[in-house]
Formats: sequence, structure tokens, C-alpha cells
Amino acid sequence: MIGRRRLGLVAASATLLASAPLSAIFESWTWLLECILAVGLVAGAAMLARTARLPDWAQVASMVVMLLVVLTWIFPSGDEVMSLLPSTRTFEYFGDLFTQASADTRSYGVPVPDRDGLLFVTVLGVGGCAVLVDTLTVILRRPALAGLPMLAIYSVPVAVYIDSVPALPFVIGAAGFLWLLVADNVDRVRRFGRRFTGDGRDVDVWEPSPLGAAGRRLAVVGVVAAVILPLAVPSVTGGLLSRLTQVGTGSGAGGFGPGAGGRVNLFASLSGQLTQNDTREMLRVTTTERSPFYLRLGVADAVTVEGFSNRTPTGNSLSRGLPDPRRDSGTNEATYRPYHANVEIKDLNMALAPIYNSVVDTDGLDGGWSYDSNQDVVFSTRTTTRNRQYSFDYLRATYTPQQLRTARSLPRNDEFRVRYTSVPKDKVVDDLVATLTGGERTDYDKVRAIYDYFSADNGFSYQLQTAGTSGSDIAAFLTNKAGFCQQYAAAMAWMSRAAGVPARVAFGFTRGSSRDGDAWIITNRNAHAWAEVYLDGFGWVPFDATPAAGVAGSTRSQWAPDTDAVDPLPSASAGGAAPGAGPSADAGGADRPDRAFDDPSLGAGGASLSSGPSATTLWIIGIAALILALLLVPALRRVLVRRRRHAATDTHTTTRTVTRAADDPEAPGDSRAVTITTESARARADAHAAWDELIDTMIDYRVTVDPTETPRHTAQRLVREAELSGSPAADSAALLGRAEERARYAREPLRGGELTRALALVRKGLSRTATRRDRLVAALMPPSVMLRWRLGAADASARWIGTFGRARDAMSRWSPRRLLARAR
Amino acid sequence: MTTPTWDEPGGPLPSEEFRAATDAIMANIERVIEGKEATVRLALAVLLSEGHLLIEDVPGVGKTKLAKALARSIDCSVRRIQFTPDLLPSDVTGVSVYNQETRDFEFKPGAVFANLVVGDEINRASPKTQSALLECMEERQVTVDGTTYELQAPFMVIATQNPIEMEGTYPLPEAQRDRFTARIAMGYPDPRAELAMLGAHGSLDPLSTLRAVSDASLVRRLIATVRDVHAADAVQQYAIALVTATREAPEIRLGASPRSTLQLLRTAKAVAALEGRDYVLPDDLQTLAVPVLAHRIIPTTDAQMNRRTTDAIVAEIVHRLPLPHERSRSPYDTRPSGDGRARYEPRGH
Repeated sequence: MIGRRRLGLVAASATLLASAPLSAIFESWTWLLECILAVGLVAGAAMLARTARLPDWAQVASMVVMLLVVLTWIFPSGDEVMSLLPSTRTFEYFGDLFTQASADTRSYGVPVPDRDGLLFVTVLGVGGCAVLVDTLTVILRRPALAGLPMLAIYSVPVAVYIDSVPALPFVIGAAGFLWLLVADNVDRVRRFGRRFTGDGRDVDVWEPSPLGAAGRRLAVVGVVAAVILPLAVPSVTGGLLSRLTQVGTGSGAGGFGPGAGGRVNLFASLSGQLTQNDTREMLRVTTTERSPFYLRLGVADAVTVEGFSNRTPTGNSLSRGLPDPRRDSGTNEATYRPYHANVEIKDLNMALAPIYNSVVDTDGLDGGWSYDSNQDVVFSTRTTTRNRQYSFDYLRATYTPQQLRTARSLPRNDEFRVRYTSVPKDKVVDDLVATLTGGERTDYDKVRAIYDYFSADNGFSYQLQTAGTSGSDIAAFLTNKAGFCQQYAAAMAWMSRAAGVPARVAFGFTRGSSRDGDAWIITNRNAHAWAEVYLDGFGWVPFDATPAAGVAGSTRSQWAPDTDAVDPLPSASAGGAAPGAGPSADAGGADRPDRAFDDPSLGAGGASLSSGPSATTLWIIGIAALILALLLVPALRRVLVRRRRHAATDTHTTTRTVTRAADDPEAPGDSRAVTITTESARARADAHAAWDELIDTMIDYRVTVDPTETPRHTAQRLVREAELSGSPAADSAALLGRAEERARYAREPLRGGELTRALALVRKGLSRTATRRDRLVAALMPPSVMLRWRLGAADASARWIGTFGRARDAMSRWSPRRLLARAR
Repeated sequence: MTTPTWDEPGGPLPSEEFRAATDAIMANIERVIEGKEATVRLALAVLLSEGHLLIEDVPGVGKTKLAKALARSIDCSVRRIQFTPDLLPSDVTGVSVYNQETRDFEFKPGAVFANLVVGDEINRASPKTQSALLECMEERQVTVDGTTYELQAPFMVIATQNPIEMEGTYPLPEAQRDRFTARIAMGYPDPRAELAMLGAHGSLDPLSTLRAVSDASLVRRLIATVRDVHAADAVQQYAIALVTATREAPEIRLGASPRSTLQLLRTAKAVAALEGRDYVLPDDLQTLAVPVLAHRIIPTTDAQMNRRTTDAIVAEIVHRLPLPHERSRSPYDTRPSGDGRARYEPRGH
């Protein structure tokens, strides 16, 4: 019974550990405190029931009742008996909480604040899980099944997050489950009686069960593999790595999920879309414009120390009509052309509708949709874009650099300028901005100076990894010079603001990278962010500083040409007129995305296309050469060893004779002490080298080597088994055996034997009788070398295991379980 | 004439003379024992290693003949004891009798006072009588009535016995068996040798015409030559390893004694010298392990029930025990694993 009670506690703890992933979806830790309370009391109820030896059903019932009491206590309706016993009113309130929770799940994005409904559902869910886990583990003794409710908890954040959930909570949850399994098995084994180690010694109570050693190792390997393996898959790397780095920074990310407009972190959504493995079609756009610009979705124009963030849009219902920029901007010199677009949402569920700039009329977006004239976004507080189909009329504004240069700076105290240029000070960024814009007079030139700075010439490159947009993050980005659209857009906007030009970050989609008839197909790969700069008289003018190579469906405009293009248009900014500014002024970058249509690997960009094939070939050749070289290593090693031994057996140049017995003070006084001369020592070493070589040759040709055999026997058996008898190889083998025998056991070694020649003869004889395959293996993959390496590896691992075992034994001296057992 | 002592056997012989002398002895014996060269060589090796020989086999295979042939080949004192159940210890060692003339007790030397003592059917005597040999075989002396009498050199006991399964015998005590350097079996002759025997023994016993080809002083010098044979460290280690393995093998209740290590190495030296080498090879030890070690060990009851002979157990140990390497080298072993020749592993305690 003690074992079961203990197991119940473990089950409760494991449930709590398994709920760790929920931390990702709540803003605060209130849920955890309430869950601890609920699970703890449920476990306590179960323990009491077990102490009272109630039947199994009563144990379950006690847990359920306790869960109900806890819920009543935490979420009171105010009409309870003694504030603990639920009444009908309580259950009605619970129903309300459910309704509230379902409403909250629709209206809140992660991380969610503490809402009673959500907390209620969480505590109910985790508490229910605790009851289930306890029942499965302690009552039914099926702890493996308890993994299912735990998995159910884990699936909640997985469902809410479009991309990966932080790895750490998963590890914690998995550890909880493993703990449960281990505890159950230890309990099971203890009931057998005494526990034994493999060497017949009793296991102390504090020692971990040696029976479970293999299981523990497997479990650890499993959890590690579950965490590491996704890192090894390239497309997942970004997501998981970025999640890992994001844990704790508080910038909780959400997908384009059911969360409503303002509460969704657009930055996080963007990176979430871009880091997904698969390509999903999100929407289709048909437009009368030949080469459209980006689809806008939302805007981040609020800046805090944390960086850019989007605000909840506000505005009037679409039914009240939309403003016309041609009318509203007084000194507007821009050229406006009207177009009509049709949007078909395939897989996008947001409270923000993707539109082009300057929409003047909509059709298909009902009264639930509103327009924020400041942000120029269409949003809804009640509905989402799911499966919606709508069309709108819009105006495409095009500008020439000359026109834009006429825009004057807003006065310093202008409310609008103050609002959209407020940015925290960051010395690195400010210094750079001062350097870049020092000589520029007009706002446009300042912005162009900043825009042009983000070029490949200055070392900028595209790299998909998530980072924040705070001042320090931007300073880091300006140092690393590697990032993706959100950093380029944020940096561009931030620096423009620092230069005194109102700027914000726009979110949406590029125009799409492939077409189906007239329609532009827009996938999650086309999710994008860019900067918008306010130029007085022209309104918000888009600047996309992200390298075009990294963006699928990138488009450039005449006033912001591609800084990395092969044939750039700096003349436009240098004062050269562009009189024939076409209807869509993206002359510089128009070709690029069009070319990309044929390229299925979007996002790879055109930059790598030119050098691609030759580099790939070189890589393949290089890798093949490397593999070949690696394959030749054993053969080479064998040749080197043979050469060294032959060098030893070949020449006898030493003539100096030194009597060691006379010189060595430690030599015994025995008059028959063997006089060791360098010459005889040399002959001995030669014989040994020749013998080693013979043994290796035998191994190479798969002649058995028997360590219980004497050299004489080995030589005889070699002649017999390799069918050498009658050939000169037989005499050579006998000579080698005799030489080794004398070298090992006689007073004087054999001298004057032509051991190298004998070796060559034996090798020749062996290769003559061997099969072709054996000959090939002996030459290319000599078994002697492989055997020696294998033995070396085995020795090393044995040493390591020994060291590890000693260390573990030393550690076990301080095992808390042992100390506890002693104290008892 | 001074009695030559054991410590001064005489100067070693040059290898040619050694070879000539030993070849003559062997050829002489082989005139009587046909087709048993290895056995004869081993018997001679035991003589040269200053040991004692136990010849064990079924009746009628020439045990006694071998013993007598060896004795006759050497011109030295030979005594023969026929062990019978009523033989007394004093018949072996000697006895003090009262001499009426001198009015004193006078020691009458027993049968062991000779260079070669042939003990026939040794296991037919009672253990009491067998024990009379204990002192003289190991210490080469006899103590009677408090007086110790040295024996001559060389001194060798050649005993024959029937296998102990036979009726009316007393198995040798362990201490006695340990004193025999080697136990050899004659074995049946092959048909060709048996035919030759019929021809040779048909009319006249060749034993009666056997002449001595050697004498005690020559044998002493032969022994000195054998003592001079070199045994490398690796060989000595191997001898120790072999003997140790018999003490640790799971099938053996009582392993071989340290005395057996010494005798193993001595006999190996003799065998090496007989083959014309001045150094011992592990091969010599491998050949000698069964004759020198097998009769000393006692197998466990399990092994006896499994009909495992001590010969087979020792042979298996030889087969399994790796040679000690004087150089550190990875222990290669590419023997196929499935042939039942698992590596020998000492039993842990």
C-alpha cells in the first residue's frame, strides 16, 4: 500500500510536469498555481482513500469529487454551500465559463492573459488528466497508457501554435512521463523481493535498479533524439532554433491563427509562416494590374523598447465608404491609376483582410469589416477571412524620385511627425544614421541613403532566423548584416525614424511567385514585411530593403530600385529623369520574379543560379574524392606498416658491440648472464618485426591466427592450410617461424636469415592460393588494419566504460537516496 | 672412490657427444621396444631431468621391458623390486640387523640403494609399503632408525603399474604420485611394430643380449648438459601459466603442485637437449604437459561422472591457454568462434 501511495504522488507530479508546455500559451503563471492546487488536492484525496483502503471505484470517485470541490472553490459563483459544495447555480456558472472560454479562444492570440474561462478549462483539463493518470497508473497499473492524457495536454499548445512549441517544456513533460514509468517499474520489481545486480550482489535500497539501466538509457536517448532530430532536418531548424532562442524573451509568437487582429503579433506570425516546412497556398489574387505590388495586411507603427509592434486597428465600418487619396492629399503629385482586384482566400484565417494600397471600394466584405485610415488596413472584430472571397477597387500610386524629392520635411513639432518618428535612442543605430544621411537634404534622399545601405556591396545577406526588432536587436542586425524581411523592414523603418522621417513596418504578401492563369498564387512563402515612409504630400511610400534574392515574388519600384540588381538605376536617384515611368514602375526588378516562376525552389533566389551547377559539381567531385581517400586509408596504413617493418628487417648496419651485462650495475652477478649485444638485440627485433608482418599477412589472407600456438606450429599450420607445401614459400614460412622462435626463446637469435625475402615469398605464395576476392580485400581493406583499429576502439571504449563506472560509483556515495536510507 | 653428489654432476658435454650418447641409449632400448620412439625418448628425458618415471598401462604392453631395457642400457647399479601385497617398507629401504660378531646393529641397505630402481606393479603393494619410497624419491636419501643414508647419483625410480580399475590394487597416494615426474602410457603397438616384435622375440629374448652403452658418470654429465639448457622468461612464464591453469580450471579439484612446475621445466630442458637445442620452446612444454601434469591432478566429481580423463582436461588447458608474449602486442585471435574452442577463462573467486 505504501508503494501505491508513493506511486500516486509520482503520478500527480508527472501530470504537473507534463503540463509544462502550457506555459507557452499563458502570459502569467496563475494557471500553474491553480493547477498545482487542483492536482495536489486530487492526489491527496486519492491518498486518503488508499489509506482508508477504499475500493478502487471509491478512489476514483474521491478524486472526481475533490476536483469538483477544488473547481468550485477556485471559480465560485457566489452561491455555494460553505463556498465549497457546488449548487445548481455553480454548474450554470461553469457553463458560462465554458462559453466564455470558447469565446476567448476565438478572440485571443497566444500568449493569452488570465481569463477566468480559460483558467477554468485549463484547471479542469489538467485536474481531469491527474485523475486519469492516477487511475491508469496506480489502480490499473498501466502507466504507459497514462502517456495518452499527458500527450493530450501537450497537444494543446501544439494546436494553438502553428509552428513548433518550445523544446524545453517538452523535455520536462517527457521527463515526467519517464519518471512515472521508472517509479512504476521499481515498485513492481521491489515486489519480487530482493533486487540483484548482475554480479550477484544485493542492490541497496538507495541504488537505482540495475535491471532498469538499459531502459533508462533508452529513455534518455529517446528524449534526446526527439529534441535533436528536428534540428538535423534543415527546414525545421529555423523554427525550433528560433523557438529555443525565444524562450524567456517574452515575445510570444502566434501563427496566422484564429487570434483576432490587434492581439496577434504580426512579426511572430510572419516568421512562423516563413519557417514552416511545407508550402501552403494561402490565397489567390486576380487583378487588372499587369505587375502588382505587395498585398498589405497589417502595420506595425508603435515603437517601444521592445521594438516595433502592431496596434489594434480602429476605424469605421466599410459600409460607410472609403477615403480617396486623390482627393485627400492636397499637393499630391503622384500618378494614380485605378485597378480592380479579386481575392479568393484559400487558407488564411485572420481578422485582417489582405488588400492592395489605397482601396477605394470593396465588394464581398460585409458590415463586419472596418477600415483603419491611419494604418490603411481592413480589419474585423467579429469575423475572419476564412474561406472568404471578395473584390475591391484600388488606386496604384507611382512616383518618380524627382517628384518625391519635392516633398518637404514636416515641422519638428508636428504631431504626426512626433508620433511616427519616436524611437528609443540607440547609439550604434543613431551613429550609422548620422553617417549615412549627413549630406542629404530632402527626406527622400535621406531615406534612399538608408535604403541603399542595405545592399550586398555592404555585406548584407538574406538569412531566415528570428530575432527581435528592439534597438539592440537592430544594432546587432546592422553588425551581423544577415537577416530576413522583418529585420530589414524594421531596421529601415527604425533608421528612417532616427533620421526624422516618419516610418512604419507594413506586413502582407509579395505579389506571389507563380500564376495560375490570371491569378497570382500566394503561399506562406510569400509572407513579407517592408518599410513604409511618410513623405509629405505623397502619403506612405513603400520601401522594400530586403535583398530580392531572399524574397519569393519580390518587386521593386522606380523610387526604390533593387540595390543589388545587375543593372541598377542609380541614375534615377542621382537626378536623372525617368520620364517614361510606366504604369507599374518596377522596371528594375520586374524580371526577377518572372524568372523565378520557372524555378520551383522559391526563396532560393536567382543569385545562386549563376554559380550553382559548377559549384555543385565541384562539391560532388570533392566529396567523392574525400570518400575515395578515406577508403584508401586502411590500405595506405598497411603499406606504411609493412614498409617500416621491412626497413627493420632489411639492413644490418650496426657493428658496434656493447656488452650490457658489464655496464649495467643492476645485472645479476651470475656468470652465465646473457650478454646482450646491440647486434643480437637488433636481430631479435628484426625477427619480431618479420613475425608481426607474417601474422598480419596471415590475417589479411584469412588464415586463422591462434594465440595458443607456438611460432613453430603457426608456421607449420600456415603451410598446411594455405597449401604452400613444396613451394619456396613453405621454407620461408618455416624460416620465419624459426627466427621468431629463436628470437623469443633462445640465448642467441637467428642471424643472417633473409627475412624480407622470406616475407615476400610467403606473401606471394598466399596470394597465389587465395581467391580473387581475398586478394582484393587484402590489398584494399586489409583485415589486419581493420582488426587492430577495432581492437583499439574496443580498448578505448572499455577504458571509458571503466572510468565512467568508477566515477558513477564515486558519485553514488553522495546519492541522496543513499544518504536518506542511512539517516533512516 | 668418492661418491658423486647431486650438486656436482660433472661438466656438461658438447652437443655432438651429447647427441651420440643419447642416440646410443635410445637405439639400444629400441632394440627391445619396437615402434615406441616417443615413449622411449620421454623415458630418457625423465632420466636426464633427474626425475622418476611411472609407466602405466594394461598388462602385457611392455612396461617392465621398457624399464629393464633402460636400466640395462646404462652400466650402473640396478635393483628390482616386485611389489606384492605382503611387501614391507623395510624391504624397500633396508633394515638394521644385529651383528653378533660386532655386537652391534648393522644397516642392511634395501632395494632403493641403486642408481636405477625398477619397481614392478607398484600399486599392488599396500600404501604403507608404497610410502617407503616417499623420502628417497624426493630427497634422495633414506632414514632408518634415525640414521640418514645418502643415495647415489643418478637415482631414478622406474615404476610400472596397472590402471587402478584392475582388481587387487591400491591406488598410489597423492604425495607419491606427485613425486613421479612423468607418467607415460605404453599403448598398443601398431601392427607393423607388433610384427617386428614377433620376429625379434620369437626365438630369443633380446633383453638378455642387451649391452650397456653408457655408465653412471656419463649419465651425470648428460644431466649436467640438460641443466645448462636455456629457458627464456617467456617459457618459464608459460610453464607457470600452465600449472596455474590446472589449479584454476573448474573441472579440477586439486591442481598441480609447484614441484610439478619445476619438473615440467626440467623435463622440457631434457626434451630440448634430446632434440639438439640449447633452449626450451613452448612446444616442449605443450608436449610434456599431459605426461608431467595429468597424473597429479584430481578432477572434480562432476568431471569424473562425465568420464573426463585428466589427460583430456590437461590437453584442453594446453589448447586454450594463450602463449605469454614477452612483447606487448594486441592479442590477435582470429580463430572461428563456433568450433567449441572457447578461450580459456580463469574461474573467479
